[in-house]
Amino acid sequence: MIRFAEPWLLIALVIVPLMMLYEWKRAGSSRIRFSSLELFKGLKHSRSLFWRKVLPVMRCLVMCLFIMALARPQSGTRTTEIITEGVDIMLCLDTSGSMNALDFTLNNKRVNRLQVVKKVVNEFIHGRQNDRMGMVVFAEEAFTQCPLTLDYGVLLSFLDSLEIGMAGDSTAIGSAIATCVKRLKDLKSKSKTIILLTDGRNNTGTISPATAADIAKTCNIKVYTIGVGTEGEAPFLVDSLFGKRYVYQKVDLDEETLQEIAQKTGGTYFRATNTEALKTIYQQIDKMEKTEAKVKEYMEYEELFAYFLIPGLCLLLAEIVLANTKLRKIP
Amino acid sequence: MIQKEILHKIQKIHIRTNHLVNDIFAGEYESAFRGRGMEFEEVRGYNPGDDIRDIDWNVTARMGHPFIKVYREERELTIMLLVDVSSSGLFGTEKQFKNELSAEMASVMAFAAIRSNDKVGLIIFSDHVEKYIPPKKGRGHVWRVIKEVLEHRPRSTRTDIGAALHYLNTVCRRRAIAFLISDFIARDYEKLLRITNKKHDVIAVHISDPRERELPDVGIAELEDAEKGETLLVDTADAGLRSAFKNASEKLFQERLHMFRSAGIDCMDIRTNAPYIDAMLKFFRMREKRL
Repeated sequence: MIRFAEPWLLIALVIVPLMMLYEWKRAGSSRIRFSSLELFKGLKHSRSLFWRKVLPVMRCLVMCLFIMALARPQSGTRTTEIITEGVDIMLCLDTSGSMNALDFTLNNKRVNRLQVVKKVVNEFIHGRQNDRMGMVVFAEEAFTQCPLTLDYGVLLSFLDSLEIGMAGDSTAIGSAIATCVKRLKDLKSKSKTIILLTDGRNNTGTISPATAADIAKTCNIKVYTIGVGTEGEAPFLVDSLFGKRYVYQKVDLDEETLQEIAQKTGGTYFRATNTEALKTIYQQIDKMEKTEAKVKEYMEYEELFAYFLIPGLCLLLAEIVLANTKLRKIP
Repeated sequence: MIQKEILHKIQKIHIRTNHLVNDIFAGEYESAFRGRGMEFEEVRGYNPGDDIRDIDWNVTARMGHPFIKVYREERELTIMLLVDVSSSGLFGTEKQFKNELSAEMASVMAFAAIRSNDKVGLIIFSDHVEKYIPPKKGRGHVWRVIKEVLEHRPRSTRTDIGAALHYLNTVCRRRAIAFLISDFIARDYEKLLRITNKKHDVIAVHISDPRERELPDVGIAELEDAEKGETLLVDTADAGLRSAFKNASEKLFQERLHMFRSAGIDCMDIRTNAPYIDAMLKFFRMREKRL
């Protein structure tokens, strides 16, 4: 990106039209009186006359270039370092089989939970600035999809590539929290947060959710828990002998455990029964975790004035030389 | 110009042209413009050396000693000086501007005329007649004419030769010798020139500058039309343009000369880069031969 370090100097560009006016006035002020120009009518004029008329334009162009060089054009393409003191957020997303339930709608279309989660989390990520965020995906096992990073582009692409069943079929909430804690515990940041999103009950894994919550508390990590799923029964699309059909299954959400985790670590438990609710929840978390970030951004600017000054000088030289030799005008 | 300067200038011209007028073309002028013939003036006693042919035998027989008839050439010519003061004359690349040269030419003519005891009148014109002095005799009158020519400030820049000729025809009933001093950069005057030449003896004093015939190679120049004020950028380094200009001007001058000749008008070709004495002498000799 090219910018001017002292753009106010560009005001001097108003000189250019004035200069053109002056040149134009001056062009008419000095001339040789000739008795009659009748004889010149119908004579063919040479091409150097055209160049002679271009000369004042050249001079104005030189002026433009010089003023632009004076305003210090810089290219700041190289960002070297960004130090931020935001919060660290681990997004902990459930990809177990139950995320396939079609109890959410997006633009009046029935979609599965994961798609809605992807959409809402995407918006959440876009809304943050200067916070390091990572992603842990869990189901039967929990693994880090993306470590803490400021590169939201990467994070978003990881988010996009989430699939149901990529970590198994059951739900290991304890392991998920433990993985997140492992990622966060050694960092020296003001606030560490886990946003746990699940739709089921802890039914596998070596660490129980309660233990994991204790560990998180010890490490001073806040855990927000979000329970996803409608009340009662949720439809699933199932391939059967008679083609695809909806099968209603009871939603098995372990709200007590989630509440406990949140309570223990100083977080909050939310229940999302539809897309709007989920959005609101993330917006709430977004507000809760707002921090004032001090951004130290080091931009390395490259001075580009030479690219204006050198052509300007060349043009000026050419103009002066031409105006005094080949295209010299008398008087 | 201040009165004193004008006087000084007239004196300078007078001194410079005195010799010219009195010696070099004293006779030439008179023989070039002769009057209607010889007029008897008186009879006086014969002195040794008088031409025997002139002896009036009747008077000699009656008186007893020889008498001769004395004739006087009848002159009483009217010289009209028509001086073009349009702005196209404000150009000159040699010693003088064309207008200055015209003024000097007019002065020389006036001096020559007064020496031969002719009447001199003046018409100063641009695109209209700016000044008219009716023809009169006398040294004082000539000085006035010359003063007017030199100190005149043109009121208009354009040229209309026809208007001046028309004015001449209306004010000058008697046949006159009209010196039309101009650069002839004008239009549509041929017809009136022919008409005027029927009544008067028109002599075109054609003033020109060498640069009007040929352009020097000076690179690009911005020229301004002296009369119309138009400007034009000209590349004189272009040999093609220069030769085209030369051809065009050559053609124009030839056409003008041809027009004068066909109208029966004598032309005095005065250039700013050549002494006008030569051109004048040449012209007088030519007239003399023809008469």
